[in-house]
Amino acid sequence: MHYVIVGNGVAGTTAALAIRKRHKPKHAKITLIGDESDYFFSRTALMYAYMDRLTRQDLEPFERKVYARQAIDLVRERVVDIDAASQTLALGSGKSLSYDKLLLATGAKPRMMPFQGVEKVKEGIVHFVSIQDLDECERLTWSTNQATVIGGGLIGVELAECFHHHKLDVTFLVREPYFWPMALGEEEGSLVSEHIRARGVDLRHDEQLEFMEADAQGRIASISTNQGNKLACQMLAVCIGVGADTAWLKQATSAPRIERGICVNRAFETSLANVYAAGDCAEIDMGSAGHRIETIWYSAKLHGELAAKSMMGDTITYEPPIFYNSSKFFEIEFTTVGEVINVPEGTHALYRKAPGKFITQRIAFDAQRVLGFNMLGSRWDHTVLMRWIAERRDIDYVREHLHEAQFDVEFGRAKLHQMEEKEVVS
Amino acid sequence: MRQKGTVGWLKHDVTNRGVTAWLLFGALLGFYLILYYGGREIAGWHVPDVLESAARLVHLPSKWTLYGLIYTLAVTGGGIYVIQKYRHNRYQIIRTLVVIFVQATFAFSLPWILAIFEQPEYYFSYLWPLKIDYFYPSNILAMPLPFVLYSLLGSLLMVPLLGIFYGKRWYCSWVCGCGGLANTAGEPFRHLTSKTSASWRFEKWSIHITLGLCLFTTALVVASFGVGDRYPQFTQAAVSVQSVYGFVVMSILSGIIGVALYPIGGTRVWCRNFCPMAAMLGLIQKFGRYRIRVKDDMCISCGMCTKYCEMGIDVRAYAQKNQDFVRASCVGCGLCAEVCPRGVLRLENRWHKDPQELTMATLLNEAYKG
Repeated sequence: MHYVIVGNGVAGTTAALAIRKRHKPKHAKITLIGDESDYFFSRTALMYAYMDRLTRQDLEPFERKVYARQAIDLVRERVVDIDAASQTLALGSGKSLSYDKLLLATGAKPRMMPFQGVEKVKEGIVHFVSIQDLDECERLTWSTNQATVIGGGLIGVELAECFHHHKLDVTFLVREPYFWPMALGEEEGSLVSEHIRARGVDLRHDEQLEFMEADAQGRIASISTNQGNKLACQMLAVCIGVGADTAWLKQATSAPRIERGICVNRAFETSLANVYAAGDCAEIDMGSAGHRIETIWYSAKLHGELAAKSMMGDTITYEPPIFYNSSKFFEIEFTTVGEVINVPEGTHALYRKAPGKFITQRIAFDAQRVLGFNMLGSRWDHTVLMRWIAERRDIDYVREHLHEAQFDVEFGRAKLHQMEEKEVVS
Repeated sequence: MRQKGTVGWLKHDVTNRGVTAWLLFGALLGFYLILYYGGREIAGWHVPDVLESAARLVHLPSKWTLYGLIYTLAVTGGGIYVIQKYRHNRYQIIRTLVVIFVQATFAFSLPWILAIFEQPEYYFSYLWPLKIDYFYPSNILAMPLPFVLYSLLGSLLMVPLLGIFYGKRWYCSWVCGCGGLANTAGEPFRHLTSKTSASWRFEKWSIHITLGLCLFTTALVVASFGVGDRYPQFTQAAVSVQSVYGFVVMSILSGIIGVALYPIGGTRVWCRNFCPMAAMLGLIQKFGRYRIRVKDDMCISCGMCTKYCEMGIDVRAYAQKNQDFVRASCVGCGLCAEVCPRGVLRLENRWHKDPQELTMATLLNEAYKG
């Protein structure tokens, strides 16, 4: 049996290791094809490489000899075509490769918009998703004094931190009225904005890019906003989300069904026989619950694990776990579990803040049970918070037992009894 | 990518084994050679005793007092830097304050004060097997009884008991001067420790061999004292083993190699590979309460924990497969938990079933890697 995995990101590599865990090399040949890098690396850690805290090789989660020991063949190639009839892949070098089971884990690409003037800019627009993006950012930083970031999401704030680390003048344009309304309440969002500004980043809300101008060499020179401001910059970071990387597949000899991503059922099977998809590129048909695209590290890891099982013949029905995620806004740590913002109108929430410190908690609840947690500025064990949601605990129980979920360092436990508390209605 | 400008270059160069790091290594090596061999001959070359003259110049009794002063200043200065850098982390603040306090009192001023009261030189912060001479009978006889009791009970009772309850960190990163310097002045070099599995294999051999040598030397010296003058050849052999141990382990490995290698091999070369005290505490730690707890499914495999582990533990290998762990070498400095951007790791003292069954195999191989 030849398992071929396209994409050596977290979904693909997790799948490869999961297959090897069950099947010895004589029963399963595993080929892991990657076009971006020789070895699997942690995409979420790119910012630490940019800030000189990690080297390129530090980003690799496994020692390089692990792949040989686990008999996983690494191939640095671009896959250009799939022929499902003969079960073969065509590679960029002209070679072809046959498979018995194929997993597409090609990830996502940064989203771009047709901004006015973008066609004249040859250099200076950056994203921050791939190793090549990191290379480009590093190359341009040397000749940059002012940088602009657009897009108030996680990658945007990461890049703002990186630019700030390199002592660039950073302007950060976020079209929403406070930081990340998709995930944060207004109180926390405003505190995060304040915090980012206090670090010296010129964060501007309700402001958007209208058009951009390049200098004679084609390097970005300035952008103009809907507020009529013209901002000089030598780097423009566009961080307005990511979308599945499917353009190459659409022209394939046999293309699987594609909508926003590669369509799969709850067993990660595409419309082609023996072809599976997982991670950021997969669009999962959840039946009555609609289609689902998940683009975070944790879901990609889980997809990879489950897709591998499905490929090995297990019966898999994907059931998304209670949502959780984590992040960091400069030094403010953020843990979210369940649903806090995306809740029916009229849902209550308990909002707590430590006086004088950036430590907040928001716990959404209804009459029966808690729905979700947004925790900022201190550490929490998300597994306990998830358990409370799963056990349908009510707000009184959770408030009383909240300290059991604390995960702060020794001596550094956030003082929960000193927090100011109020109830808000969304 | 390093920061722009000369300062950015220097910062990167000195902390990443650049030219300036090698120069610093040379300077530290020279300093230790002069400290240990000043006034003596090495290979026909008379080493000038400049440190002794410097000590006289500032009215200090000896070059060792001067060295103690420089060491204490380095721990204090580095400690202030560390407290400032990790000011949001109370574990780091408290731990660093204790390290500075122990260095300034037990390791520096107290022996000095003892001298004023005509007591022998004694360091309460050092115990056998690190301070091997405290178990030498000649020393025991020369010391006042309270010191001898402290020494024996400390090594045989306090060290293992605290090790069981709090792990080896109570000593290695709260009390010990070697660890103290590494965690303060050595902070900019902590990431240089090798993380390869080959370095781990080397460590497991080298540290236990040194522990064996230490036990052997102690036993031999005690035995030779017991048999006394009846077997002069045996006594002679014991004396030479004692002096070889003193030369190789105490001066070369702990002093010269241990500190001079900071800019090249990271801060804990001595502690990780050779210290007999660390070896003993490490074995105790495996049976104790201390462990690093890993929050399930929260690791993003970024590798900050592994990079900044001064003991060369591949922390990420455990974190990314949701495995709570305790490694013999872990000194509990807490930096992995500090640098983790997702708050995945937590140092804990708590009895609970170890996910790694404690067998001879886990003790020897410690854990599956990759």
